Amino acid sequence: MLAAADLQPVMPSLTAAYEHATGIHLNVSFGSSSTLATQIMNGEPADLFLAADFSFPEKVVAANLADTPAPIAYARGALVLWARKDSPLQPLTQNTLHDDHFSRLAIANPDHAPYGRAAVAALTWMKLYDRLKPQLVVAENIAQTAQFVESGNAQLGLISLTLASSEHFQQVGSFVRIPHTAYPEIRQCAVVMRNSPRRAEAHAFLDWLRSPAIQGNLTKYGLEAVK
Amino acid sequence: MDFQALWLTLRLALSTTLLLMLIALPLARWIASGNGPLRALTQTLVALPLVLPPTVLGYYLLVLLGPLTAPGRMLIRLLGHPLAFSFSGLVVGSVLYSLPFAVQPLIAGFRAVPVGLVETAATLGASPGRVFRSITLPLAKPSLITAAVLAFTHTVGEFGVVLMLGGNIPGATRTLSIALYDQVQDFNYAAANRTAALLLIFSVVALVPIYLRRSSDTRSVLA
Repeated sequence: MLAAADLQPVMPSLTAAYEHATGIHLNVSFGSSSTLATQIMNGEPADLFLAADFSFPEKVVAANLADTPAPIAYARGALVLWARKDSPLQPLTQNTLHDDHFSRLAIANPDHAPYGRAAVAALTWMKLYDRLKPQLVVAENIAQTAQFVESGNAQLGLISLTLASSEHFQQVGSFVRIPHTAYPEIRQCAVVMRNSPRRAEAHAFLDWLRSPAIQGNLTKYGLEAVK
Repeated sequence: MDFQALWLTLRLALSTTLLLMLIALPLARWIASGNGPLRALTQTLVALPLVLPPTVLGYYLLVLLGPLTAPGRMLIRLLGHPLAFSFSGLVVGSVLYSLPFAVQPLIAGFRAVPVGLVETAATLGASPGRVFRSITLPLAKPSLITAAVLAFTHTVGEFGVVLMLGGNIPGATRTLSIALYDQVQDFNYAAANRTAALLLIFSVVALVPIYLRRSSDTRSVLA
């Protein structure tokens, strides 16, 4: 299974639960959705691709490598503003970005990371993009975005709720949600690879992920149910 | 063609090479001038960037020289800003990353200077500094050029350190290799091919003269 970087804190618990329920062991590799899509389209063997948006699995579908005519949504992502607990900018509020008492804001690359796109959309909606653009530092993927903030090099970061609500990041910092209206829905979608010898098992996992029981529990991981 | 990234890459490589030659010359001179465990340890440390993954180097620069550590805070006071996300940060990272490429050819060049010439100059009254300037450096000129060219081209191709430390800021840290990576990530293969070709041609053009010079160097032992 190839999974987007924002799922890194989430997958261990999910795969453990699945293995407990079915006895099937899952191997997961992480990367940015864009890198994974590129690798798949260049022949990387995989059974299931869990991306952080719709567009990258759609590319895999367009390349005729998926076994469904469209990507299958499995969760919705949420964008948050995160800072270290020892940051002078705490407590974070909806005005923290407006007040601009910081020098660096980390975002993921908007050209190829879904949460980066959402970050730019949110900043534009808040009418802050032009003003804050010189202060942006752009990371390769959402995990590196969080790392820039965690290491103190950026004072704030727009990261995924999945990362912000993981145990490690809860210990080190805190977050405030960006209003849903500020950015287009992050509809995380998956595709099963047409050439996989384990397509049935991949679909079984995807069905389990989309089952009401698991969807109802997604908020625990920082994701939201797909409607 | 991303001219901003090209210009930035050339500026980075040039700054790194100049700084590196200033550091590598005295360092290589000291290492080449004797033996012993201290020199051996120094050579090991200098060679580390050859075996360390560049991303590890970039990571340690990001975290260990970041605002959360004492050395990092000292550096911030010195530079006025953190190492990460700045051109000067990249220069520091590149100097460390390309250090062995500058130092090792210089050590080889200095060691190849016939010791008889050095001793003769000394017996004629030349100070060690004079000997270095008038005898060693001119005779080691090919290795100086090799060191500079290798440091320069190695920095042009640098990726891992810039990725970890840079923040992809156009005009400041978005180098040609980062631009190439982004173009691939964006599925813009036409642009990626152009950037890759430019980097490749550049490297070939830089390296061919080194090897041509080597083959015409009559002082070479094996020629």
